[in-house]
Amino acid sequence: MTDRTALTDAAERACARIAPTWPLDRFIALNPFWPLTHKPLSEVAGEIAALSGARLLMPRQWYAQEWRAGRLRSEHLRAAIAENGSDVTEDELTALFWSGEPTPAQWPLVVSTMEALGHRDHEVTWPEFVMERISRFCATYFDDGQAQISGVRKGGFYASWRGQARIDQAPYLFMELGGYRSTVAKLPSTADEMIALGCSELGVPVEERERYLSALLLDVNGWASWCAYLRWTARIAGGDDGHLRELLAIRLGWEWILFSASDETIRAEWRLAMTSWPAIDRAARLVRSDDWILQRAVEIAWLSQLRPKLAKGFGAPRPAAPKLQAAFCLDVRSEVFRRALEAQGEGIQTLGVAGFFGLPIEYGQLASDDARPQLPGLLAPKYRVTDTGVPKGLEATRRARLNASYAWKAFKSSSLSSFAYVDAVGLFFARYLIQDTFRSQRHRADHPDRAGLTESENQTRMPRLTSTVDGEPITTDVRCEIAATLLRMMGLTQDFARLVLFVGHGSETKNNAHAAGLDCGACNGQPGHVNARAAAALLNDAEVRAGLVARGIQVPPTTTFVGALHNTTTDEVTLFAEDDGATTHQSDLDSARLVLDRASDATRRERAPRLGLGDVPDGKLRAAVAKRARNWAEVRPEWGLAGNAAFIVAPRERSRHIDLEGRVFLHDYRFADDKDHAILEAIMTGPMVVAHWINFQYYASTVDNARYGCGNKVLHNIVGGHLGVFEGNGGDLRIGLSMQSLHDGERWIHAPLRLAVFIEASRPALDRILEKHPKLTELVDNEWLHLFALDLPEQAVFARRNGEWKPAPP
Amino acid sequence: MTSDVLLSFLPLVLAALVPACLFIAAFLISRQRARFLTVASVVTTLTAALTYLAVVLRGVFWFLGYDARTSRPGAVFNDVVQLDIVSGAMFVLVSTLALIVVRYSRSYLAGERELDRYSRYLLLTVASVSVLVTSNHLAVLVVAWFATDVGLHQLLTFYRTRRQAIVVAHKKFLLSRLADACFVTSLLFIGSEVGSLKIDVVNAYAQAHGELSPTLHVATVLLVFGVILKSAQLPFHGWMLQVMEAPTPVSALLHAGVVNIGGFVMIRLSPLMVNASIAQGMLVGVGLFTTIVASLVMTTRPAIKGVLAWSTIGQMGFMLVQCGLGAWHLALMHLLAHSLYKAHTFLSSGSVVHLWRGAHILHNPRVRIWHLVASVVIVSLAVAPLYVETALPIAHLSSTTRSLALVLALSFAPMIARALAAGVRVFLMALLLAVGASALYFGWHVVFELFAPWIDAGASPSKFTWSFVIDGLAFLFVVQSILQVSPNGWFASWLQPHLLSGLYIDDWFTRLTFRLFPPGLQ
Repeated sequence: MTDRTALTDAAERACARIAPTWPLDRFIALNPFWPLTHKPLSEVAGEIAALSGARLLMPRQWYAQEWRAGRLRSEHLRAAIAENGSDVTEDELTALFWSGEPTPAQWPLVVSTMEALGHRDHEVTWPEFVMERISRFCATYFDDGQAQISGVRKGGFYASWRGQARIDQAPYLFMELGGYRSTVAKLPSTADEMIALGCSELGVPVEERERYLSALLLDVNGWASWCAYLRWTARIAGGDDGHLRELLAIRLGWEWILFSASDETIRAEWRLAMTSWPAIDRAARLVRSDDWILQRAVEIAWLSQLRPKLAKGFGAPRPAAPKLQAAFCLDVRSEVFRRALEAQGEGIQTLGVAGFFGLPIEYGQLASDDARPQLPGLLAPKYRVTDTGVPKGLEATRRARLNASYAWKAFKSSSLSSFAYVDAVGLFFARYLIQDTFRSQRHRADHPDRAGLTESENQTRMPRLTSTVDGEPITTDVRCEIAATLLRMMGLTQDFARLVLFVGHGSETKNNAHAAGLDCGACNGQPGHVNARAAAALLNDAEVRAGLVARGIQVPPTTTFVGALHNTTTDEVTLFAEDDGATTHQSDLDSARLVLDRASDATRRERAPRLGLGDVPDGKLRAAVAKRARNWAEVRPEWGLAGNAAFIVAPRERSRHIDLEGRVFLHDYRFADDKDHAILEAIMTGPMVVAHWINFQYYASTVDNARYGCGNKVLHNIVGGHLGVFEGNGGDLRIGLSMQSLHDGERWIHAPLRLAVFIEASRPALDRILEKHPKLTELVDNEWLHLFALDLPEQAVFARRNGEWKPAPP
Repeated sequence: MTSDVLLSFLPLVLAALVPACLFIAAFLISRQRARFLTVASVVTTLTAALTYLAVVLRGVFWFLGYDARTSRPGAVFNDVVQLDIVSGAMFVLVSTLALIVVRYSRSYLAGERELDRYSRYLLLTVASVSVLVTSNHLAVLVVAWFATDVGLHQLLTFYRTRRQAIVVAHKKFLLSRLADACFVTSLLFIGSEVGSLKIDVVNAYAQAHGELSPTLHVATVLLVFGVILKSAQLPFHGWMLQVMEAPTPVSALLHAGVVNIGGFVMIRLSPLMVNASIAQGMLVGVGLFTTIVASLVMTTRPAIKGVLAWSTIGQMGFMLVQCGLGAWHLALMHLLAHSLYKAHTFLSSGSVVHLWRGAHILHNPRVRIWHLVASVVIVSLAVAPLYVETALPIAHLSSTTRSLALVLALSFAPMIARALAAGVRVFLMALLLAVGASALYFGWHVVFELFAPWIDAGASPSKFTWSFVIDGLAFLFVVQSILQVSPNGWFASWLQPHLLSGLYIDDWFTRLTFRLFPPGLQ
């Protein structure tokens, strides 16, 4: 292998370590270490700590608090020590509570070496300056509609940066880097040449190149994650994308510029700095190894409460002849509502399934030029849902209204007209200020899908499965297959009630940059009613019903399916009774509305204390929650998926008796009905991975909010229209969750526990699926999540550790 | 004392109670142990009510003839507090903004630490601005301005661990002290010449004397220089861009309230300023330069708060140009309109993603050059009757109105071009919007001319100044049009990086000031 291809490989591997981040309008969760799961979590933590200073454990103070609160006890520490096989003692672990955590050193890069040399003693540091330059360039280059005059994109990302770097005056004007101009004149013309030149002139040892390049990308992790998103979406669509590699070249370009434009001192210092890398690696690996036992002990402590309760469910009978069935998204917020709904009567059965209801669709709403995906980020859409049932001419009217509003925006924001705009309409903003401050509860938070439509026009829209993504019609056979899979996935193939609800979910917040993060993650950060309604309509179709019979699923003609939307912020449920069932099942719908309303009340009551509304009397709670949701200044409209810690894949009767506190994802699954284990495989490769992503987004945002969370909402500054946020003026693009989503100002609302997955299936079946999917084996065996088998015949729980199943203590 | 005089005092006493309440609350709040912002909310609600009552009573009494102005002599209180149309409008604006910002902060900052400090300095800032806008004494005004700055400084550095915030506050601190020095010197000159620092006396003196003495020329130039420093005009604008390290409601208070004070002072002293030709020239020159540069830079910013900051800088420039042209009532209108608009835009800056989604349901059609040419022709035809000698009454409109109509017409060009690109139906809708917006635009002008006629008095600026401004704005239109029509052309490619860097003006300025006054000295 030549030196050049070895270097290209090293760069490619460094790029492959970066996980994507989704834009704010599709803000779905992902494990930010997704490409690194081939190594144990604690090892990755050590490596990343050395390369970027990231911290993947809570401060010791947090574990100490768990201990003092009595949640973490001796027996948990002992269990964790035994599991780990370490020779550390319990006392040595508790001694950690009284010592602050060590902060391991981080690899010096050229920018930090420059700073350490102290060439400059005034305000802006070199790392800050380089970050600011790169971030500003990226924001301008990737900007998607905020700036009216976009950056120069000719020649691509790297070439555009190079062009801009050559005329940039700030490095010598502001930072007084004398040799800047002559150095940038020599910048290579392609990204690959830049990487080759940088590595060779900086003298980075061959064996360290991958990790050095990786450290550079981690230094601009936010923008790197954005580039990784571009690559992810390109690859899902069957293509590829090189922005990430070009970003690497740009960041390396800055290292090279600083190195080349400075004098001899930096060269000597840099050589010295590079020799420190191995020692820093060693220190970072060792420094918090015992803390991982504490982390595990906290997880054991929580599980030790859950497992005995779960075991009690083994004897529960399968529900028969339900009066009402309602399928919800597996989201942890559904658990609270489902429990409240089930409490309204024995005949009410709820089910859990991924909230896109198995429809791999994109949604092309009325008059829109683009369709947006409404399915998990792992998949590419196959079919298209469009709005049907709208009055003739509404499409053209909406187009005209939208175009007129875009034209008005040109008046509002063009350079010259912005002055006339302010003079003409500025005084009217007094009304909006007063309305939003004092009367916000009267105005629902409108979803942007409503733009250009009145409320009554909006209500005529019925999202229906209409074609494939290429616009081809869908054959009846395919429709029947989609419908059959959908029902099998949720384990609903017999004992149908007269009324079956498909309840998608969405949130209602105002003035919230991360609103999509509260919508349905399985629907790509969109409200799930589109999928729920399309799925319900599909199953009400007579042809599909007939086709289902041929596939062994008898849906009684008296059964009707109705789509619904669970507003997770206010806990209201809206039914979309729009097919024939709306007339034939009037009384069923009325009684369903009644129990849903009661369930809404109960759910709000349960959530009220954490929203600071614990003292509000029952009669006023609904209004108080709605008021809170519609407050434009509210930074904690709801707690989203905070607290999530487990995923149960089993029939609902196994967990129906337990108050899971809104901390558990629930997916229905009947092992006995799944002869070839295809459904089990689908659940483990789909919903389980997504639940892990969400769990780890919360984990990472909590343990290191500065790098994997987006910081303080109060300072957020939206970039590029929808790309992400800056915290304050600039700095890196911020990924992950804000502090306000995790912490209430006094304490953490989310406890960073790795996901515990309980699956009711035979251990050999689970092993076969793990074997077939090495990525899943990695997740389990490298402790990114904990896998348990619920063994029905033996009525026991087994834990898989290090590739082996062991009985889990009760 | 007669009942007339007593009645005329009542609004002024009420007005004086407003800062008093705020100051007292600001000092007591440190002893309150919890719910600082709830306390602040109650206090600002009370002071807003007092403000409205004071202003309404003042208006009613004036209407009934019990006018504080006319009930001299002996009206001692009248010398301290002044509540006319300008200060009344500002007073209502400030009290309302304070209430809104506090209410917003109560939810927005829930769970933050040091909310006592936040509440205290927020109230102190608002109290100082209340004194500033109602004071009839220049020395009080300058001291209140200083106090405003002290309070704001604490709010801008609310997060003490954020280095950037501290660095920027340093830069702002230097500029503000320089401005203070200008004001104090200016006051010394004014006092020595006029013999009083009471605003009504100074204004009356200026009106009586017409042409200004050299001393007063120097004084007004110093005053204007201070105003330029404090209004974030180029090249002293850098701090304005970099204060996003403070919570959003602080930005709203700054952009909608505090930064306007310069313009307010100019309007307040309009009888003096009318004859200050050199100072007025400075306002027009600096303001126009800032207007052009800032409004172009604004369109290159990729992050919302950067857009808003440059927008404010440009709008301040525009307001100072209006002052420099002697169009005081327009400046007042612009101040109020911009303030309300910017307060709302800042506080709702989290909605950008929401708006973005609504704005991307359709693809934007490419605006071609002929769309823009056609729209320029259309708007030119619309204003042509103003320039042609006809029998119509509109031919007798002043040249000022003509110029405004031309600028307004050009302002509609991008909208109409965008609509043309989208088809006939949209084009007709856009024409309707343009007609409606024009009606509003001139409607507000008429309203402000009716309510504030006297502040438009005095010498009108030369034709040269007006055409200078119109040429500048036309130049802005041409540059903007080229950038819009040919976003990838050589001109855009060449200009965009420089605009993005703000023409490096702040880099030069920061380097220079920090060399003279390194940070860390405070």
